[in-house]
Amino acid sequence: MAIRVLTVEDDERIRASVKLALEDEGWIVDEAPTGEDAIAIFQSTPADVVLIDIMLPGIDGFELCRTLRKLSDVPIVMVTARVDTHDVVAGLEAGADDYLTKPFAPKELSARIRALLRRVRPSAPGHSKLVFGNLEIIPDEGKVTLGGKDVPLTKTEFRLLCELAHDPNGVFSREVLLDKVWGHGYFGDGRLVDVHIRRLRMKVEVDPAEPTHVVTVRGLGYRLQS
Amino acid sequence: MTFTQPTTRPPRYRRTRARRIIRNTARALLPRRIGLRHRILISFGAGAMILSAVLAITTYGFTRSSFVQQRETAEINQAFANAKRVQTDLLANPADVIGALEQFGSAQRLLYSNGVWTSNSKGFTQADIPTALKTRVVTNLKAAHMIIDHGVNAALIVGIPLEQTNAFYFELESLRQTEDALRSVFIALMLSGAITTAVGIGLGLLVSGRTVRPLVQAAQAASAIAEGRFDTRLETTQDRDLQMLTTAFNDMVATLQTRVERDARFTSDVSHELRSPLMTLAASAQVMHSRRDELPERSQAALDLLIGDVARFQGLVEDLLEISRFDAGAIRLINEPLALLEFVRQAIAVSSLPRTDVVFAAETDQILVQGDKRRLARVFANLIDNARIHSGGKPKIIIQFADDDPTKSRAWVIVEDDGSGLIDGEEEKIFERFSRGGSAGQRAGSEGAGLGLALAAEHVALHSGSIWAENRHDGIRGARFIVELEIFVQNQPALGPQRNTETSS
Repeated sequence: MAIRVLTVEDDERIRASVKLALEDEGWIVDEAPTGEDAIAIFQSTPADVVLIDIMLPGIDGFELCRTLRKLSDVPIVMVTARVDTHDVVAGLEAGADDYLTKPFAPKELSARIRALLRRVRPSAPGHSKLVFGNLEIIPDEGKVTLGGKDVPLTKTEFRLLCELAHDPNGVFSREVLLDKVWGHGYFGDGRLVDVHIRRLRMKVEVDPAEPTHVVTVRGLGYRLQS
Repeated sequence: MTFTQPTTRPPRYRRTRARRIIRNTARALLPRRIGLRHRILISFGAGAMILSAVLAITTYGFTRSSFVQQRETAEINQAFANAKRVQTDLLANPADVIGALEQFGSAQRLLYSNGVWTSNSKGFTQADIPTALKTRVVTNLKAAHMIIDHGVNAALIVGIPLEQTNAFYFELESLRQTEDALRSVFIALMLSGAITTAVGIGLGLLVSGRTVRPLVQAAQAASAIAEGRFDTRLETTQDRDLQMLTTAFNDMVATLQTRVERDARFTSDVSHELRSPLMTLAASAQVMHSRRDELPERSQAALDLLIGDVARFQGLVEDLLEISRFDAGAIRLINEPLALLEFVRQAIAVSSLPRTDVVFAAETDQILVQGDKRRLARVFANLIDNARIHSGGKPKIIIQFADDDPTKSRAWVIVEDDGSGLIDGEEEKIFERFSRGGSAGQRAGSEGAGLGLALAAEHVALHSGSIWAENRHDGIRGARFIVELEIFVQNQPALGPQRNTETSS
């Protein structure tokens, strides 16, 4: 089945050119000039991935991100003007999975989208259920429970958790996680990992301020423990 | 209409020469090199000294004259009284001259009677009496007095002719006590003069400090502004004279700030506005590129040009945006500890010459630096670009400890090429924006906007490092660019990016 992308961008010409480029990948592209339109379109025909420009008339990109997050766990790529502003962190905290800065090459965008839509690594046989204390992960079903209760994770959060679960007690550096989860190289933005870890802790930790499962290993990276 | 002919002017050189001499003399007399603070100090000190000296001299003069006069009058009166008694005694008993002299008082006396000098004291002989006084008393028969030097002290001699006895009475009274009193007064005055001078110097210090303080503040503010902290202002004061300075200064900074911000915003706005069309261009060019084979040959060539220049344009806009952020002081580094060798290798891998060799000195593979990965990588990418375009050959990268640093606290990353090297005086110019001087003209070809090295310099400066260019020392033609970075000492292992929210300065 073809991948369906929803691009939310107020500049008609950018929208049109991005649509052309993404359609070259064989994908279906829906367009929305405003956040309000995007919500309406998403509700009638849910997309597999949403591309949001932060600068939008009406409700802005952050607000749209939060609204879509309430509706779905769809991967969201946001487009910001600058790398070093708070926009990036704010966007990630609003629920975006990855970001690009304008102007970006459409090839880069499609690579990012492919990385976000990658499936979870198949689990080793006999490991269909991974248990970390009161935290249980069933990779093949995309299901996570904490103390028996279902934990709703986005696709990216789930993949991040599964990467950490792949080698229990192994320490994963930022670079490794960026590569495995987002497909970024050495120059990927470590803040992606930090914000996603923070979001993950909000969901899988009893007390996110005192994490017991997703712990920080100073100077090295992160580790999942029971 | 008539024009007046310019009359020949008298030679002006004489006047200018005179003026020059006056100016030179004034310059020699007025020590201009002495700062304001010291000038105030000297004025106060000298003022206090002169004032106290004048006061002391006047006081001493008055005291001395009134003291001496008083004493003189008293002594003379006493001498006349004594003379009267001696006369009475002599008249009663003309033979007992000694008896007449010794019967009262402590003064030293001398009697000249019938050509014989009789003294009641060895310290007073006729030799002590000045001739003028002697003449006046003995010859002119007039009472007289005189102050003489008698031994170490001054003394008053009074001479009185004794009527009816044909004798002359001389009395000598030491003025030692008076002199002692005057000496005490003198010492007291000297002391108070010294104290006044010291107080004057102290006041001078205080006042000069106060006077110079606004200037020092203004100087500090000015250098802060020069470093880009445009929110610097001078404190407003109640002092009307200083208010002029602070108001003018603050107005100037405000104007400067507005102008700088406007310039930076303009560059930033322009670059931002260029991004959207660039986005469309890049995306459309890519769509065409994926159908390149379907195009006729001439269109293919045109498309290649288009794609190449869209990329170049994109790079230029990115560089301009980054530069405008520097100018606005709006750069926020995303700092993290980086393993230098690994980092340099990764930076080369994404540069235009990913196969560039890296040579590293012993122990340098352990070096950590603190930096913004993305921005530092641009530094090396730009240096490699520069070497590639400039030397047209293979650059080489060398990592080593700083040559002049035995403590190994700084690391050098050297990008060396075998191009034509740098022309004298070009070493600094090439770091200027859009510089195209000298052999740099060669790189004006199709690549590089001339911002690469300027950006590299700004980035390195933001990382508290230095960058400079020089010709190779090893006898081979070519240039080398040295990036010096502080080695990061990791006391506590810190994890990952630490946002440096400090704006650049």
